[in-house]
Amino acid sequence: MSSLTTRSEAVRYRLRPRLRQVGLIDALVLGAVVAAAAVGLATPRFATFANAKAILTSASLVGITALGLTLIVIGGSAVSLAISQTVAATGMIFLAAQSLGLVPALVIGVVVGGLITAGQGAVVGYAAANPVVLTIAASFAIAGVATGVTGGTSVSPTGPGYDRLNATPASIPLSVYALVAAAALVEWVLRRTAFGRSLYLIGENRAAARAAGLPVGRTTTAAWFGAGALFAVTAAFTAAFNTAANVNLGGTLTFDAIAAVLAGGTPISGGSGSAGRTLAGAVLIAATSDILLLRGYSTGIQVMVKGLIVTVVVVLVHLRTRGRRP
Amino acid sequence: MKWTSVRRPETLLPVSSIALTVLAFVLIPTYTDSTLASFDVYNTLQVFARLGLIALALGLTMIAGEFDLSVVGVYTLGGMLAVQAGQHHWAYGVLAAVGAGVAIGLVQGLLVAGLALPSMPVTLATYIALLGLTSALSGGLTKSYTNASVTLWVDQPVATFFSPRSLITLGLFLLAGAVLTLTRVGRELRAIGSNRRASRVAGVGVGRLLVATFVVSGALSALGGALLAFSLGSANPDPGTQPLILAASAALLGGVSLAGGRGHPLGLLGGTVAVALLAEVATVAAFPSYVTQLFYAGLLGVIVVVDAPDLHDAVVRLRTRFRSSHDPTPAPNQIEDFA
Repeated sequence: MSSLTTRSEAVRYRLRPRLRQVGLIDALVLGAVVAAAAVGLATPRFATFANAKAILTSASLVGITALGLTLIVIGGSAVSLAISQTVAATGMIFLAAQSLGLVPALVIGVVVGGLITAGQGAVVGYAAANPVVLTIAASFAIAGVATGVTGGTSVSPTGPGYDRLNATPASIPLSVYALVAAAALVEWVLRRTAFGRSLYLIGENRAAARAAGLPVGRTTTAAWFGAGALFAVTAAFTAAFNTAANVNLGGTLTFDAIAAVLAGGTPISGGSGSAGRTLAGAVLIAATSDILLLRGYSTGIQVMVKGLIVTVVVVLVHLRTRGRRP
Repeated sequence: MKWTSVRRPETLLPVSSIALTVLAFVLIPTYTDSTLASFDVYNTLQVFARLGLIALALGLTMIAGEFDLSVVGVYTLGGMLAVQAGQHHWAYGVLAAVGAGVAIGLVQGLLVAGLALPSMPVTLATYIALLGLTSALSGGLTKSYTNASVTLWVDQPVATFFSPRSLITLGLFLLAGAVLTLTRVGRELRAIGSNRRASRVAGVGVGRLLVATFVVSGALSALGGALLAFSLGSANPDPGTQPLILAASAALLGGVSLAGGRGHPLGLLGGTVAVALLAEVATVAAFPSYVTQLFYAGLLGVIVVVDAPDLHDAVVRLRTRFRSSHDPTPAPNQIEDFA
């Protein structure tokens, strides 16, 4: 018996259904996107410039946050469940620092947001602590300190500079420009820098990355710092929009950001993902919510559909990756 | 009992947390103006009942090496279904809630076990979807439960300290403890939690057990939500993250490991009672809520850092180096550290 032929045939027979599975999934996704687009176009007032602007605006703040979270997810440290609280706390700091001027306040907010998050990243990176439970604890700690310091009241701006963040150059909100800039920056860092490359490796296989001599702890901490800085950018825009900040400023941002990252097709296990995918995920969710809103469905239905989209994408991405890498 | 078995984290953690919190509870008159009454014990057990079933649900999935974030989603939906379906008779409400919990658990279990999906994203997505569904069912509003006799019944004092609600919760803990001790399910659950491939090779029906764990988790969370809704006389579509944080604290204090493969329902019982005692101490001593929040954060933070594998490895390495420089033969309990 010629073992070579039998083996290669066996490989071919094993691969074929998997490849077919990948093709099937791709066709399914394409069909779903076409169907969604058709529903969108059939919805009155969906395909208008004003509505496109509304979708982009609602995608922008979740998108910037989700770009930060993408760094955490790619590095293999699952998710942060402290996003809303970090946004609330840095939003308060941003408004309280307005008397120094817009730029210094923004810098202070970004540094504080980065440091709060990097502190959690250091524990995850150096000690391999469970990120889910650690960030749950951090969310309580941040909210607790914020409530203690403010006495549970809202923080008002101490200067007028913040209002420039509400500008709409070419009638598009500034946050949309910030989203595009942040996406380009994150994509460049991930693709073109040694930090970005090692982040993928650490996410793919932490033990191998460590054996290869990569600075696992330092890289993870830096990724979380970047995430925290982007959370702070969201915080500045949200606080500027609300002209006040309390502990609830972050709203449901934690879950919205996770949903955007996952809906973009980034696996939670780390090692892959990109800024572009997260951007697509954020826009997908914003567009879907918009269609449901235009068709008169309640907030509850919108949230439920968001959860279902994430479930379906998670399952499909998992099946597809399994198909490609037997 | 042998000293080594007490030193195991799944015994040590719940026993010491119970001891510390009971001490803090008994000493309340020394650091506040309040005195202790039997009412405080009853209240503690009411907090225990509110938290117990989701802590047990989360803890069981953690023993199996998974993390069911959807417990709070099922808990919320369970409460809402119990209120809406149980207006005429409580049994319909409980049936609807537990049925939904079982169905959700079944779907999640099949996804996680059948497709070998990581449980975190699946249960997180389910959690989001369930909060949406609950809010859609109630129009985003709190729904009240008009059947006052049920509300009175679930919270009526039994033997001074208990209520039917806390007794049901306690009974389910003991039932889970008995099943996991007396049948081989306990051993198999810990086996799939610590090394899934090895347990599959050893003949454990991994898939079936995982699906069953998620089903039980769904049913327990839904029942917990239904009982809470009956007790409050209303169901709230947005519970926030507090129940999840308290349930995770209770499970971790109960000696369950984040890496899976460790823990027992009786330990979970201890952890939950400890968290309930803490909550009662905070209430009686009238701490501001942010102080309690910071306290829970610190507690969870310490547990998660102590539980961190790389830190643990580093400590073991250091200790080994220290010992071998003193004594060339390895100490017997050093082997235990690696096991």
